[in-house]
Amino acid sequence: MNVQGLIVVVVFGGALLAIFGLIYRQALASYRQGELGPDGIRLLQWAIVGQLVIYALLGLTAFLT
Amino acid sequence: MSSIPEALARPTGDAEAGAGALPPYTRRLLMWSFAVGVVPPIVLIVGLSLNSLYVLLFVHVICGGTWTGFDLFMGLVMSRIMRSLDIPARVEVAKRLTPTTFFILPSLAAVAVTSGIYLAQRLHKFDLSDPWIIAAGVVVAILTVQGFGIFMPNGLRIFIELAKRKPDPQRIARLNMWNIRLSGVQAAFQVVIIVIMAHLAIY
Repeated sequence: MNVQGLIVVVVFGGALLAIFGLIYRQALASYRQGELGPDGIRLLQWAIVGQLVIYALLGLTAFLT
Repeated sequence: MSSIPEALARPTGDAEAGAGALPPYTRRLLMWSFAVGVVPPIVLIVGLSLNSLYVLLFVHVICGGTWTGFDLFMGLVMSRIMRSLDIPARVEVAKRLTPTTFFILPSLAAVAVTSGIYLAQRLHKFDLSDPWIIAAGVVVAILTVQGFGIFMPNGLRIFIELAKRKPDPQRIARLNMWNIRLSGVQAAFQVVIIVIMAHLAIY
């Protein structure tokens, strides 16, 4: 396992999750207030999942070196 | 000149979307972005599985080069084009540009950095006391903070704004211009990192 590679991916992924989480909470509040359509919140969820897939694949590389 | 709300009601492809819904092309562009964005980590996995230095070098150079080229294009070309457009036109560009780059750019950046570390380790150049490696790390850290701290949140905010029942076109245009201006700053740092990479490749 490549520790340095894994650290980089975890830092990238962690930062991504933290920022996405924060913005998702704001979006959820807008959704509950009726400002944001359900389409928007659904797409945002897919966007988060998509980014996580990319980082999961990248995380896998740390175990290949 | 038409007002912003009128102009926003007219754009092509939006009529079928309905109030508060994202334009239909948003999903298609986002899926395209994901399909392209998932390629770099997969190629990196293949290269590492084959234990191929050639593929590893290829992935690092193409991802880093494309990332640099994109930032240079955005900073030097797109920023000028956007400034020449009126707000509704800028919004129309932002509505298409944001989903198209949403997965591609973070993927290129993350794969360029990760493959760069693997490559430096493979070539026995990953020495954290080497000033050139430290310089590369500092520039990458700046690029990453800008990317995760400004680019991506702005992209998400544009999405959220677009999905609102009453999108604020000024806000969309402003956020997109922020990203494009920042691309210019990123382009300057990208040139610096290319100088560092050229040094590391030769010496």
